[in-house]
Amino acid sequence: CFSSSAAAHIGVGISGQEGIQAVLASDYSFSQFRFLQRLLLVHGRWSYLRMCRFLCYFFYKNFAFTMVHFWFGFFCGFSAQTVYDQYFITLYNIVYTSLPVLAMGLFDQDVPEQRSLEYPKLYEPGQLNLLFNKREFFICIAQGIYTSVVLFFIPYGVLSHATQSNGVPLADYQTFAVTTATALVIVVSVQIALDTGYWTAINHFFIWGSLGTYFTILFAMHSSILFNIFPKQFHFLGSAHNTLGQPVVWLTIALATVICIAPVLAFRFLKLDLKPQLSDTVRYTQLVLQKKQKPCGRVGRGVGGG
Amino acid sequence: MKNEEEASERPDNTAFTQQQLPAWQPVLSAGIIIPGFLIIGLAFLGIGIALFLTSQTIQVLEMDYTGVEKDSPCFRCTSPSNQTCTCEVTFSLSTLFTGPVFFYYGLSNYFQNFRKYGVSKDDYQLTGDTQYFKSPRDVCFPYAHDSKNNPIVPCGAIASSMFNDTFELYQIINGTKKKVPLDGKGISWWTDYNIKYRNPLPVNGSFASAFDGTVKPINWPKAAYELDLTDPNNNGFLNQDFLVWMRRAALPQFRKLYRRITEGDYATGLPAGNYSLTVYYNYPVLSFDGRKKVVFSNVSWMGGKNDFLGIAYLVVGSLCVVMSVVMLIVYAKFKFSDDDDA
Repeated sequence: CFSSSAAAHIGVGISGQEGIQAVLASDYSFSQFRFLQRLLLVHGRWSYLRMCRFLCYFFYKNFAFTMVHFWFGFFCGFSAQTVYDQYFITLYNIVYTSLPVLAMGLFDQDVPEQRSLEYPKLYEPGQLNLLFNKREFFICIAQGIYTSVVLFFIPYGVLSHATQSNGVPLADYQTFAVTTATALVIVVSVQIALDTGYWTAINHFFIWGSLGTYFTILFAMHSSILFNIFPKQFHFLGSAHNTLGQPVVWLTIALATVICIAPVLAFRFLKLDLKPQLSDTVRYTQLVLQKKQKPCGRVGRGVGGG
Repeated sequence: MKNEEEASERPDNTAFTQQQLPAWQPVLSAGIIIPGFLIIGLAFLGIGIALFLTSQTIQVLEMDYTGVEKDSPCFRCTSPSNQTCTCEVTFSLSTLFTGPVFFYYGLSNYFQNFRKYGVSKDDYQLTGDTQYFKSPRDVCFPYAHDSKNNPIVPCGAIASSMFNDTFELYQIINGTKKKVPLDGKGISWWTDYNIKYRNPLPVNGSFASAFDGTVKPINWPKAAYELDLTDPNNNGFLNQDFLVWMRRAALPQFRKLYRRITEGDYATGLPAGNYSLTVYYNYPVLSFDGRKKVVFSNVSWMGGKNDFLGIAYLVVGSLCVVMSVVMLIVYAKFKFSDDDDA
């Protein structure tokens, strides 16, 4: 019995009157055999879905973030000059983009649990390795690289000849860094908003909170208070105010966001129309049902109560 | 007793632990996506047209004065010599160049964004901390000490490579030269001038004495405390040209603001006519195949001339509109074919 648990993907033990030895050797355990259905069809399926979405997004956001330096290398003499401020690089993965994807990895559901039990065929993508395989991985990477191209070359094209309305050129390194960093955070936040299929209050809080935290920390680090304490560390003084007060910069960020996100939206919509998966159909009918049930439910309760 | 045991071992039945939190579950429905793409496409087209038309109204005049060709006016300045070489670039304007006119100098093939170049400065010196005057930071090497081991203030490659060509602009009226006044106030960032860079405090009432025991950067003609002896607010580290240079550029081709033309007879702009630009040619760029140029430009609400932004918005806007039409066709075809099958 131990070797079969070792050979399988997961080991499940049933605790009962024959003792708890199987429980100690297993990954999951419960007390009644019928709970196996929920373990596989609800929790196992959700876990697979969450893991695949999490992985794809994680590779995407890091490729989008890092590959910008690859493109910049061609224009800075390959001197390993970073495009972003050092503190942005430190905080990007820890603070600005970690919590939204964590929330998606914990709470996401494509289909509620009752439907998962009603349609066992929904379990098939997990068995056939459909949601994260070599092809899906390369698509995630390719999307990350495409995003990095847009995030570098759109600010490059705009800022290289741009000036403020008072004539001061915008092509300095710190303006370029703040523009690219802000565009990156906004684009990956919009992408996680698209990937999240089940928006609990926690998801809302994490996504909007991360964006708000980015702008708060940005303005705090570029303020005079920190500069006066540590002039060498916080030499981006004034960049946030100067850069984000320019309409040209916001136009650049909006342009980069639409170029990155619109193809994703169009592709997903067309895929939903032309080749819907079973989970898409079940999800759609479930939501239509929920909308219809709400007014009927109230009327029903009134009739039942009276 | 059994009921108590059951109650204590029963798992939590809250919405959070049972994964039944109330949630919004969005679906990419046609009613949102297709009109959304159309609206974004039309908005981008509108913005693109506004940007493109604004950009077309901006006038720009660029002149390369490096002196590479033998027949260019500054060719004789390219051979290295110790004296300042002066050359004259003439140009003519066919129409009024609407003011206020901004005067930039531009460099190409100049990598201010090179990493080792960018870290080569002493931020403490530049905030006026005299402790670091005598002992500049190591990152300034090899621009921290001169051959006699005197400390250099301001140290580092960025300061050492400061652009030192100067320009005078004259309008030629009936054969005589009339000087065009150039205004150099406030060409740097407000935060640079007021917070980031601070001059050291004068010693015994003399600003130059604050720099005792240090030497100027090797390539500079004058020391930092002599950069502008006529205006103490433009001297030392607060010199506007110095601050403009220290704000390093992101890309190898860049322009930096030199002066504005806003005063006197030229407040409304440069009238049509002949002009002569006198260049005090000090800055050598040919050794690394760089080029120098001057640029005259006026600005609008969106800044200088920027065709890229307008064209990009027009392209993206039209692609969005096209995509929304395509998606509408696909959706209609799919929906009606589905109804036909059913």
